[in-house]
Amino acid sequence: MLKILIPTVMLIPTIWFTPKKWLWPSTLTHSLVIALFTLTWLTWPSETAWSNLNGLMATDPLSTPLLILTCWLLPLMILASQNHTTNDPINRQRMYISLLTSLQLFLILAFSATELIMFYIMFEATLIPTLLIITRWGNQTERLNAGTYFLFYTLAGSLPLLVALLMLQNKTGSLSMLTLQHSNPLNLIMLGDKLWWMGCLMAFLVKMPLYGVHLWLPKAHVEAPIAGSMILAAVLLKLGGYGMMRLMNILEPLSKQLSYPFMILALWGIIMTGLICLRQNDLKSLIAYSSVSHMGLVTTGILIQTPWGFTGALVLMIAHGLTSSALFCLANTNYERTHSRTMVLARGLQMVLPLMAMWWFTASLANMALPPLPNLMGELMIISSLFNWSPWTLTLTGLGTLITAAYSLYLFLTTQRGPLTNHLLHMEPSHSREHLIMTLHLIPLTLLIFKPELLWGWIF
Amino acid sequence: MNPYIMSIFLLGLGLGTTITFMSSHWLLAWMGLEINTLAIIPLMAQHHHPRSVEASTKYFLTQATAAAMILFASSTNAWITGQWDINELSHPMSSTIMMLGLALKIGLAPLHTWLPEVLQGLDLTTGLIMSTWQKLAPFSLLMQMNLNNSVMITMAIMSTMIGGWGGLNQTQLRKILAYSSIAHIGWMILVLQFSPSLTLITLMIYIFMTLSIFCLFKMNKTTSINSLAMSWSKSPTITALSPLILLSLGGLPPLTGFGPKWMILSELTKQDLNMIATITALSALLSLYFYLRLSYAMTLTLSPNTTPITNQWRFNTKQPTIHLSISTMLSLMLLPLLPGIMTIIN
Amino acid sequence: MTPVHFAFSTTFILGLMGLTFHRNHLLSALLCLEGMMLSLYVALSLWTLQLNSISFSPTPMLMLAFSACEASAGLALLVATSRTHGTDRLQALNILQC
Repeated sequence: MLKILIPTVMLIPTIWFTPKKWLWPSTLTHSLVIALFTLTWLTWPSETAWSNLNGLMATDPLSTPLLILTCWLLPLMILASQNHTTNDPINRQRMYISLLTSLQLFLILAFSATELIMFYIMFEATLIPTLLIITRWGNQTERLNAGTYFLFYTLAGSLPLLVALLMLQNKTGSLSMLTLQHSNPLNLIMLGDKLWWMGCLMAFLVKMPLYGVHLWLPKAHVEAPIAGSMILAAVLLKLGGYGMMRLMNILEPLSKQLSYPFMILALWGIIMTGLICLRQNDLKSLIAYSSVSHMGLVTTGILIQTPWGFTGALVLMIAHGLTSSALFCLANTNYERTHSRTMVLARGLQMVLPLMAMWWFTASLANMALPPLPNLMGELMIISSLFNWSPWTLTLTGLGTLITAAYSLYLFLTTQRGPLTNHLLHMEPSHSREHLIMTLHLIPLTLLIFKPELLWGWIF
Repeated sequence: MNPYIMSIFLLGLGLGTTITFMSSHWLLAWMGLEINTLAIIPLMAQHHHPRSVEASTKYFLTQATAAAMILFASSTNAWITGQWDINELSHPMSSTIMMLGLALKIGLAPLHTWLPEVLQGLDLTTGLIMSTWQKLAPFSLLMQMNLNNSVMITMAIMSTMIGGWGGLNQTQLRKILAYSSIAHIGWMILVLQFSPSLTLITLMIYIFMTLSIFCLFKMNKTTSINSLAMSWSKSPTITALSPLILLSLGGLPPLTGFGPKWMILSELTKQDLNMIATITALSALLSLYFYLRLSYAMTLTLSPNTTPITNQWRFNTKQPTIHLSISTMLSLMLLPLLPGIMTIIN
Repeated sequence: MTPVHFAFSTTFILGLMGLTFHRNHLLSALLCLEGMMLSLYVALSLWTLQLNSISFSPTPMLMLAFSACEASAGLALLVATSRTHGTDRLQALNILQC
């Protein structure tokens, strides 16, 4: 683990001591090298599935894809934010990249922690850099409101989690994830135990976000700068899913009954947020609501606790991470040219940026889960395991898929097709930097089709 | 003020607290508290200004009442049980009166109303003494008594809630800091009867954080949120660090302020006070809101600079900043060292 | 509870009640404080008399000395308040509330 952690820490001196001219290239190279080295985690030599074990950290098939996604995102974020920070003073640019790096550091520590309290601390520690990124580098004044929503929704969910984890520690004597699943089943019958169940899951459901406690997400996405949106959609939401998967197996006897309302809420949320997407005119808000909808599917997949559900959830998390991040990058390319997120004001861009239209097409198809892509694999696994659980869920999930297809089409048609608006007189051509970002997003997504067992988690 | 007189008062301030630390007899402890109060009153009123005079009058009245209540409680105890030792305060009536007297001294919730007003009337240096050094003597007494009642837990929870609610509506930094002190004292009192050493650590960390925030405000010469907004043009580095200090006061991991909260919650769950732990943890959100608002005003938005000079930071500051830098580092990075400190103190 | 104990407790509590509820003037607040201190003086000196202990006998004097210091500080503040606020009514001490 230190092979990755120490270079990540040493990125910070790199950021502050490289000359101004080489700031972006050197940090990009450095972080890309780190990302490539994380690929070595993809071998799991031991039979217990935990590898790279040391005193505090380890990787296993569940956390490795998320870890690699985290490290992969940093060079992409650096590439994506190069353009909009060029007008900032150099120290502020350095501060920005330092915040992104510290976010990666905390996320690596969160995903690889073997102790639940360590995971909790790092889960919370990601709040501070994200908050600073949203509220300092956002564009509108509403960013302060968005930051407050983000912080307080997450904390209101996660402070009970801390108390719940401490109670669990008093009951079992240890919070190590290595041994927790082998501990004696807890005797959970009282009302207080049900509240404890809620306390354990609520933080992650808020982070996910579950429909009903999702209001912070569209605000944060809309107001954050591009790197903030990317990391939020790609990795931070997945912290919720990861934490739920880790905690589900100790909550065993209670989840059978108590998870019903949350599953219904999540399934209902798929349809509701999909419908919201259909009448959305803000580009980033549309993508944000579409992540809420996809994450609803992930939540149900985790809550029914079948092996297929878990695998589907993990596959969908990774695939959605890459796809939504790519969509946010595309939205940002539009934003940097038209300085508006309103979709009506940036129609028909296929005429101006034909190659970008190809990326839009691919990303929209990935978002609506086109057959060979891992998105489809994840959705299919979750939907079929849900169908196995109760056939009636197919009405909700099927309708949800239909609406997803509809709004992906709406997204593509509104931005790319049709006549060009009259007010766009001056339009920069697309940069190769932007094409590079899109390539680096979509190549892993395509390559994962050929070896999906990397994302299968505990199954194979 | 004449430096000789000033030094006499400062020595008296130290002497009073030290006497209270060393004493095992209630009368001596009371004398220490009195010396302490009498020494700080002239320091508070040194600027002959209506606000400082009013603050010192209010402070005098509350502290004299509190000291009288402490002496009354201990003499009642002596009349009933014949004991003057600090450890032997066993009669329930006298221990309750003692608790109320000490609560009035440190500004615990139902008896907290003097603290924001007094702090608002002081300059930042005296305010720093007021919110750090003046807490030490009453806390040393609280930690030596073995109190065991639910009055304390009620007062502590009330204190965390009121500290949060009260600060929401303030625009004056010193009032906000006073409410934050009330909330932190609630956390300390909450765990006092289960683990006094934890109270000591919490107090220590609270003092570090308050020290850094007061030094920060003193360096910027700010006393209200409005004037805070201009600090980015004076010292960019400390302005960048200040939201972290504020969030550390609010108790966000991985900053130092999270450590005491974590250990206190862990201690409370060990005592099966889960509901109380949850309520207290959630009441920290109230305080966090105004810390967040301060950091918005200070760092996260750049207010348009009305002065024509935007580069004040190019001029070297003449003030010594070593205490600011040390306390800032302590209030940001101490979390990994806390288990070690805990073993030393236990 | 002995009669002496009852007497000084009542005096102290009356003084405290006076300080809490009847605080129109700073001077009356100071007088109530002084009453409280005197009741404590009575308590300490009677404790000494009852125990006939030589070693405890200076304590009432020490306490009286401290309460005299406190009273003089209070009077000094009374002077300062009446100079800055023009009155010694405690209602007038309201510039720090907001």
